[in-house]
Amino acid sequence: MIECDVLVIGGGMAGWFAAIKAREQGLNVLLADKGYVSKSGETIYAGDTAVFDPDAGNDLAAWLEQVDVIGEYMNNRHWNELVFRDSRERLADLRSYGVQFEEKDGRVVRLPHPHANIVLPDTHKFPPTVSEVVHWLPGFPEKVRKHLIKIGVKLKDRFMVTELLLQDGRVAGAIGFSIEGNRVEVIKAKAVVMSAGGGGFRPVGYPTHELTADGHAMAYRAGATITSKEFVSPHSTNPKDPAWPPMYLFFSAGHSAAQPGMYSAPHLFNAEGDEVAARGVAWHGWIDAEYEAHEGRAPLIADLGKRGVLPVSGPGGHGSMFGHATGGIVPVNDDCATEVPGLYAAGDSCGTCFIGANYSGFGFATAHAAATGARAGLGAAAEAKGLGADGGIDEKAVAAATARLLEPLERKGGFTPNWVTQVLQNTLAPYFVLYVKHGDRLQAALSTVEFLRDHIAPKLYARDDHELRLAHETKNMILNAEMKVRSSLARTESRGTHYREDFPGRNDEEWLAWMRLKQEDGRMVTFKQPIPAEWRPDAAKSYEERYPMRLPNEVPGSGAPNAAGEGR
Amino acid sequence: MTIEKIDLDLCTGCGICIDSCPMDVIRMDRAGQKAVIRYPQECMNCEQCALDCPEEAVTVTPYKTVPLISSWG
Ligand SMILES: Cc1cc2nc3c(=O)[nH]c(=O)nc-3n(C[C@H](O)[C@H](O)[C@H](O)COP(=O)(O)OP(=O)(O)OC[C@H]3O[C@@H](n4cnc5c(N)ncnc54)[C@H](O)[C@@H]3O)c2cc1C
Ligand code: SF4
Ligand code: SF4
Repeated sequence: MIECDVLVIGGGMAGWFAAIKAREQGLNVLLADKGYVSKSGETIYAGDTAVFDPDAGNDLAAWLEQVDVIGEYMNNRHWNELVFRDSRERLADLRSYGVQFEEKDGRVVRLPHPHANIVLPDTHKFPPTVSEVVHWLPGFPEKVRKHLIKIGVKLKDRFMVTELLLQDGRVAGAIGFSIEGNRVEVIKAKAVVMSAGGGGFRPVGYPTHELTADGHAMAYRAGATITSKEFVSPHSTNPKDPAWPPMYLFFSAGHSAAQPGMYSAPHLFNAEGDEVAARGVAWHGWIDAEYEAHEGRAPLIADLGKRGVLPVSGPGGHGSMFGHATGGIVPVNDDCATEVPGLYAAGDSCGTCFIGANYSGFGFATAHAAATGARAGLGAAAEAKGLGADGGIDEKAVAAATARLLEPLERKGGFTPNWVTQVLQNTLAPYFVLYVKHGDRLQAALSTVEFLRDHIAPKLYARDDHELRLAHETKNMILNAEMKVRSSLARTESRGTHYREDFPGRNDEEWLAWMRLKQEDGRMVTFKQPIPAEWRPDAAKSYEERYPMRLPNEVPGSGAPNAAGEGR
Repeated sequence: MTIEKIDLDLCTGCGICIDSCPMDVIRMDRAGQKAVIRYPQECMNCEQCALDCPEEAVTVTPYKTVPLISSWG
């Protein structure tokens, strides 16, 4: 058994900050990652981070309005403010850890939001984009890794955590195994930070296959509430080499400031030569693209101006490859504590609802991961310090958790993780399940997912250590699928990246609420958490003013079943 | 497909690519001398192994093949 004061699970931006801040409090900190800290997770692909700086003329009210309008009021304004206000300090921290940024005359270069200058036709009013980003230089993860080692954070690479261990109702540690050699180990901790990222279903064209919502799943099983799983992260890929991430990067994200014109007015055309929506490669324009496919007008072509044209195919995302700072474990205070005593959540694992129903600003995800990571690290450290000599962990509970961990290896036969993953992908990947949604189709997907959960998952078997990891990831993906499908079914309206063909409009009367889910008597239940009245859009404004972005076949305001959409 | 080959003449067995791979595709051979592609089906074309190998021994291609789906497996 390994002992520490604070255990941090997952070493991306969130886990880095959690570990560093807790260590700076003089505690014994262990950072475990199933990959290799600085080589796994989403953080390593990010090119920019948002930094709010009043001294640079940034106006908080304008930044908040950007998130409100693009996030379609599903953002948590309190967290927006906390993260924005923290961001300048986190930037200074990163620089002090040795991370280099694009600089001019000794100052970090601030760049306008990449979408700020896109010119759109009058029919597509674009929401205000005032937030600004800064770019770090390549090699930044290695710099932070060195800093972690230098200050004495213990790193445990290639170690997959499978379960949180509870003692007398509070988290007392976790259990996991080494990816190579399947050595099972229990890590005892006074407080645990969950920063294991978000999760998808091993999307093509997006190198995030290791992110299988493990953090969300472990916390859910320990009793935490999960939020906002109905929203998706619809990044597309290209039809020629759909599994080739660099093609995706070329097309969209713009991971280098050194490419002028990167964001110059991208236009999207359908097979009939009509422009789909100039906002097609921004915000939730992806839904328009999916709808074109639905109507039989794919393939699509993106015109990137000077950079030529590029064919586009549907999201390789299989319905969201990552949390992108929206869905996740609900925090109960500003320190990112959760409902489970002793458990903190940060980054994509943490459901602050920071960005709302759309990805409402470039650089927001890493700014959110840094801010919540630092807060969770400090919160966990304070709690760990406050605890006296800790008790043990019940031996029987450890034995039971060990048996659960090793079960796939003990089985002589059953289903392979790869086959089950493939079945799950086939269930979720088609555009008509998690992008152009409909109650009937979601219900059908749910039946399959429930069957996988009840009949297939218990019979997953592993022939070696590598497959043991895959087996646990597959179980977590099945749970994540259930969360996404149930939340999508429950939200009977369209909003942001959640598009329901049978409810093609925002319904403010019923749905200015977050969709939460929780385990009750072994079953997953969904419930609404109303958004505070003072954060709701001004009811005096017209629907179009509240929601400048149009939806396919929209029925403004009604949220009621659409005659055209029904019976498809 | 995906990670296509590790050139054993160039590989010095330093192990860097093993740490670089988030998907546990690469392992050391039994003698601990050379890196081998052990689980190619998990490769997600992230290219990190190829970019990090000091000997430029690793080749990653854009192509990924997926096994045919069967009634059980
Ligand atoms: C290609 C790409 C480009 C992006 N570009 C930007 C950008 O320019 N700006 C921006 O702000 N955001 C960007 N994002 C989003 C942003 O990178 C993420 O939202 C953010 O970095 C998440 O940080 P995190 O620390 O929460 O999680 P991650 O960085 O994903 O780290 C999670 C870690 O947890 C580990 N882990 C997972 N499960 C387990 C387990 N069971 N046991 C142990 N360890 C586990 C993983 O191995 C991983 O190292 C981008 C994302 C991608 C994929
Ligand atoms: S990084 Fe290159 S040299 Fe080192 S083990 Fe891998 S293939 Fe061989
Ligand atoms: S390309 Fe990425 S996933 Fe594939 S073997 Fe190399 S490091 Fe691993």
